[in-house]
Amino acid sequence: MTTASPRKDLERRVESFVSWLFADFSPRVTRGPKVINDALLGNQYFARHEVAVIDSPLLQRLKQIKQTGLVFQVFPSARHSRFEHSLGAATLAERCLTAIGDRASLEGEPSSVPPTRDRGDLAELRMAALLHDVGHGLCSHLSEQIYEAFTDIRAFEKDPDFVDKSPGEILSYLIVHTRTFRDWFQGIQDDCSSKLNIDTVASMILGRHPDPQKLFLAQIVSSPYDADKLDYIARDSLNCGLALTVDLPRFYSMIATTTYNEYKVLVLRNYVPLEQILFSKMTLYGSVYHHHKVKCLDQMLRAMVMHIAGNPATCAFNTRGQALAFQHAVDFLYVTDDEFFSGQAFGDKVVKGFHDRFRRRDLLARCVEISRRTVVNWSSPERKSLIDLSAKPAQAVELERAIYEQLPAAQRSTAHPSEVLLSVPKPPKLKGGFAFIQTDQHAAPEPIEQYFPLEQWTDSYSHSKWKSFVYAPGSLRQQVRDAAIDVIRERLGLEVDKDKSNQACHVS
Amino acid sequence: MTTLAPGSMNDLLPDDILLAILAMAQKESGESYFRFEGHDFDLQRVFRELTQEFALLRNYFVFSSGGPMPYSPSLTESVSRLQLSGMVGRENPEYEFLFLKPAANEYMKRLEPKLGADATNELKKVAKAFLKRVVS
Repeated sequence: MTTASPRKDLERRVESFVSWLFADFSPRVTRGPKVINDALLGNQYFARHEVAVIDSPLLQRLKQIKQTGLVFQVFPSARHSRFEHSLGAATLAERCLTAIGDRASLEGEPSSVPPTRDRGDLAELRMAALLHDVGHGLCSHLSEQIYEAFTDIRAFEKDPDFVDKSPGEILSYLIVHTRTFRDWFQGIQDDCSSKLNIDTVASMILGRHPDPQKLFLAQIVSSPYDADKLDYIARDSLNCGLALTVDLPRFYSMIATTTYNEYKVLVLRNYVPLEQILFSKMTLYGSVYHHHKVKCLDQMLRAMVMHIAGNPATCAFNTRGQALAFQHAVDFLYVTDDEFFSGQAFGDKVVKGFHDRFRRRDLLARCVEISRRTVVNWSSPERKSLIDLSAKPAQAVELERAIYEQLPAAQRSTAHPSEVLLSVPKPPKLKGGFAFIQTDQHAAPEPIEQYFPLEQWTDSYSHSKWKSFVYAPGSLRQQVRDAAIDVIRERLGLEVDKDKSNQACHVS
Repeated sequence: MTTLAPGSMNDLLPDDILLAILAMAQKESGESYFRFEGHDFDLQRVFRELTQEFALLRNYFVFSSGGPMPYSPSLTESVSRLQLSGMVGRENPEYEFLFLKPAANEYMKRLEPKLGADATNELKKVAKAFLKRVVS
């Protein structure tokens, strides 16, 4: 018997997911375009075929997936969803394109893109932005960080067409490529008299365009200064209560295109707007995404999900007729945050324990901080063994288990192994691709790094803000701390200063 | 079941390969303090050329098919992880020069046995080719 390749398996599972999603859906086509008001962006205009897509289960499910996962447990107002973000990305994508046209006109060059929302470039750009996040599942990037290590999604990581894309973007692309979605979308196009090439839309989600002279359109969807970032930086900071600024009018006034190596690419006439974007992103990492309580919640979800995955016979659960046990990347698409945290009754003791903790916001406690300020030999080569764990999740789990096994038997019996957790965050990804500055239309485009020290920011973040933590039930803090310090010394060669760690973690 | 991809503590990461190349390049250069122009776009260009010449590198640094400039995310991530690991740093005040920290050569001594003779010989050739392509 032969088995299909992991990639073919994944494509087949994505097709099954979309079929399941659309199984009992009767498409509705509205009589006209709609205006949707948004707290961040104000009035947003959508064409008839776009409203049909917005009303489809593919977009509607995003209302139940929070943009920032479990961050709302730390920043209570961060309850915004992937849905409003997707609408916002479509709106901002059009504003970027309009700005490019305005800049071209200002500089005496005709804009080549007709501003029509129901056909051609603008329609495809808006649709790509609208659909760019349909591959997100349970808790957005949290589940992505878990299933990115699964063998089916890793089948794409050495493919030049996908290598620079996140697992969520790959799933979005595959969803748009399914026969089920394409057939449904064609029906909508026929009803609405819209004319979009869905293959081009799918490519743009990956930051590609079949016409090199239109690459800049795809870059508006996926690049270091895309509509996605413009929206989520503003939306995340607003909803987390951080006073960050991305001066969008100034950004629009600076965005243009130029030809570089036969591609028409996005450029900025001035680096300041991009500096604002990157500074905001860095602040969001330090204050929100890498907040020690947020990382604790991330690890708790990871432990819960991996426990379910490791015990499918006892932990599988049902979502609208679909049995799930997180065996494959696509499983994370079937269940939304709302369904997972509110609509499930888990029988397994460990899973129920985590579920109750999330419901009561009963977080595990910090036991050890592993960082520049707590590790005595931080400058030694041993540090790399710790950092490597951010790229080796299976080995990080081994270390967690070793810490658990190191506990005295009396304490070990009071906790489950999955309640001793290690967080080793990846370094922040500030840029992710190429970005150009072109000071005027006749100047040569130059990489952004020529204008300000982008890489120094990563260096600086790594030096002063990056931290790793060990978490465990509060009743075991001292014992887990001692066990963790021993294991970290023995296995990684890092010497944690107990007093400094205690001070950092408020352990008495 | 789709499982977690297998691996062990001894698995080599792309940043191990990058570190080995840099440490071997330092040895080849004879410099006690080894620095080179290392903006992301510089390194992307250099490593794109090196992957075309040396097959070994293609297992670790895959370049995107999209866009006008070479871009391998694993190369960018490797530099970030080496910075975070305290193996490389950037010189003040321009930050355009990357330099190897003492920990890099200490780590290299532990890495060598994991590389094996064939890979070590190949990487020495890569290191020589790297030196010819960068401004130090």
